[in-house]
Amino acid sequence: MSPKIHLRDHMDKIFYPQSVAIVGANKVPGTVPHDIIHNILKADFQGIVYPVSPREKFIAGAKCYKYIVDIEDPIDLAIIVFPSSVADMALEQCGKKGVKSIIIISAGFREVGGKGIEKEKKILEIAEKYDMNFIGPNCLGVINTDPKSLLNASFARKMPEEGSIGFLSQSGALCTAVLDYAQAKHIGFSKFISFGNKADINEIDLLRYLKDDPKTKVILMYLEEISQGRELMDTAREIINDTGKPILAIKSGRTDEGASAAASHTGSLAGSDQVTDAALKQAGIIRCQNIEEMFNKAIAMAYQPMPKSNNIAIITNAGGPGVLTTDAAIHEGLELAKFSDQTTAVFKKHLPKTANIKNPVDVIGDARADRYKVALSQALKDVNVDGAFVILTPQSMTDIDTIATEIVNVAEQYDKPLYASFMGAADVASGIDILQKNKIPHYTLPESMCKAFATAYNFETHKLNEIDRSELYDDVDIEAAQKILDKAIKNGRKILPENEADKVLETYRIPVPERKMVNSAEDAAKVALKIGFPVVLKVMSEDITHKFDIKGVLIDIRTEKEAKDAYESIMHNVTKAKPKAKIDGVLVEKMIPKGHEVILGVKRDPAFGPFIMYGMGGIFVEIFKDVSFRVAPVDKNVAAEMIDETKSSKMLHGARGIVPADLDALQNTLIRLGQLAIDCPQIKELDINPLIVLEKGKGCFVADANIML
Amino acid sequence: MSNGNVKEKVKKVISEVLKVNSEEISDEANFIFDLGADSAQSLELIAGFEEEFDIEMDEDKALEIQSVSDAVTFISTYL
Repeated sequence: MSPKIHLRDHMDKIFYPQSVAIVGANKVPGTVPHDIIHNILKADFQGIVYPVSPREKFIAGAKCYKYIVDIEDPIDLAIIVFPSSVADMALEQCGKKGVKSIIIISAGFREVGGKGIEKEKKILEIAEKYDMNFIGPNCLGVINTDPKSLLNASFARKMPEEGSIGFLSQSGALCTAVLDYAQAKHIGFSKFISFGNKADINEIDLLRYLKDDPKTKVILMYLEEISQGRELMDTAREIINDTGKPILAIKSGRTDEGASAAASHTGSLAGSDQVTDAALKQAGIIRCQNIEEMFNKAIAMAYQPMPKSNNIAIITNAGGPGVLTTDAAIHEGLELAKFSDQTTAVFKKHLPKTANIKNPVDVIGDARADRYKVALSQALKDVNVDGAFVILTPQSMTDIDTIATEIVNVAEQYDKPLYASFMGAADVASGIDILQKNKIPHYTLPESMCKAFATAYNFETHKLNEIDRSELYDDVDIEAAQKILDKAIKNGRKILPENEADKVLETYRIPVPERKMVNSAEDAAKVALKIGFPVVLKVMSEDITHKFDIKGVLIDIRTEKEAKDAYESIMHNVTKAKPKAKIDGVLVEKMIPKGHEVILGVKRDPAFGPFIMYGMGGIFVEIFKDVSFRVAPVDKNVAAEMIDETKSSKMLHGARGIVPADLDALQNTLIRLGQLAIDCPQIKELDINPLIVLEKGKGCFVADANIML
Repeated sequence: MSNGNVKEKVKKVISEVLKVNSEEISDEANFIFDLGADSAQSLELIAGFEEEFDIEMDEDKALEIQSVSDAVTFISTYL
């Protein structure tokens, strides 16, 4: 990567250049070089354009230069459109010319593998040599709708409307689809950036730029790969906390072929997408499934004030859609506001007797604009209301366009969010157009409208806390843990079974029951007596992960004889099921009283690093998949969130007469496990399954664990 | 055939395909960067060289030729 010392200045020149050179321009219609130069000219760019072409004398009336170094004037931005085979030569000349800000549109680099990787390396070296920064390669380009610039340095078909949404995309093709979608809905953009291979300037640099861009109110991202996950999380948190700008993202590649069929439960439950999901959530980034959902939410936050509460008013001219919207609102956690007496009085006075003057307000099918105006104005005036939804269905007397215009007028008078749903398609089209042109978020379905409001409300009210590091424990013995793990690695070990995993866990004061390894039936009886009955006997072997499945575990052993028999029985079962397994011995362990069985795990993600898993434990963990993830470390709040995110958490809280579990102890164990994950990179995966959580005040204990190195 | 003759013929083909004076074509001129060849013309150049020298070149390798001197060296291996 080239140095980023002057990155901010260089990025300013990418978006606000006074002069732009298109290096490799031609006048063959339908080619990228041709279309880029025409897009720049068509968009009314406020600077000077210099085509650089080895062959042409003039392009679109502008004088061509054979080489960029032939241009006498300074050049702020060079857009390289030459094929990848000579992009390095073009970049070298840009360096010699003193151009610092570059967009490399050309494809044929890292994305094609082989020699393309070398080519990308070469352009990075050149950029470093001349202290240049570039967007791309393999990108669609950049658009800035700010009237001070009006730059369409892309080969998209159109320049979008000016707006307050900043859009970043790793995929160029998706950009063109988004522009087309946005145009139809009058969605405007502040900056529109396709960053392609992100060889130099990446999404984190662009996020930081948009953080300080006064024209950008909401940031949208489409990502295909995340390479610096932790930095992305930190940057997102910083943007949200410092500026309040929401960040919405689509991260493709949700299906995870790479979710390993690993030896651990955590390994098989934690695909990279689940981790991405958790990490984005931790960073405050709103993850969306598709373009429609992303824009549904983005326009709500970009166009309208953020909701101060979840108390909404619904104004409708049809009962059914009013009920549908009410259902959707409640489902999303919104509440129907209780109108003040004054509001009720106004409704009584101005609405027909047949109208429903309670929330949702039904202004009746024959309502025209005047009735909508009264209802909507009064609802927004009401101190109990912090947002309004307007529903319209097209009856023969419904003056759709006038109602749309009134909604726009009313919205301007109140600092409260107002969204609309004109249900239908053909008849309501012109009304929808009026709404969209005037920045009233419109939704075909009330469900999408309610989701958008709930997203804006949650974003506004959810405090994004940094991890409270004072809650991390300082009584952990990093050195002792490292020593055990390093020794195991030195000896070529890949798995540490329970007896050894427990030793690592003990260094972090994760509670394990009293236990001892034995190698004979007699010793099993002696140790059991010493520990105190009842005990559990478990086979210990690096070759056996799921001990239960081969009857390698026997529980509730209550006498010395039972202990002896259990030992023999386990050895018999294991030898029969796994004749080649190397058996280290049998662990005699104090039996933990009955409690809630949960699973805890650790794994590493290539982008986000170590993370921890929590969920309902036991042998059915992979069937129910009732688990949650967080990037480590975690504090008490995050640990509590992890627990509450699972369906089974209700049981731990004491549902239906069950004694509440020791959630404090469980949260503490999650914090300690997060610390272990961060401190010990030797651990590839770790399973504690189950951790038995006893009733409140009685703690929790590791019943089984193993570590993959 | 001497290197000088090969070079002359290479420049002749380039001049015909890219429609530039052969005097303007330096030995190190890059077909794309200096002479403005597009992707179709790059293929035409290969076809032109094959016809001029009556040879059949490996197309993938031939497409890596970027300059007059590259072309002379590469074509000489077929003569």
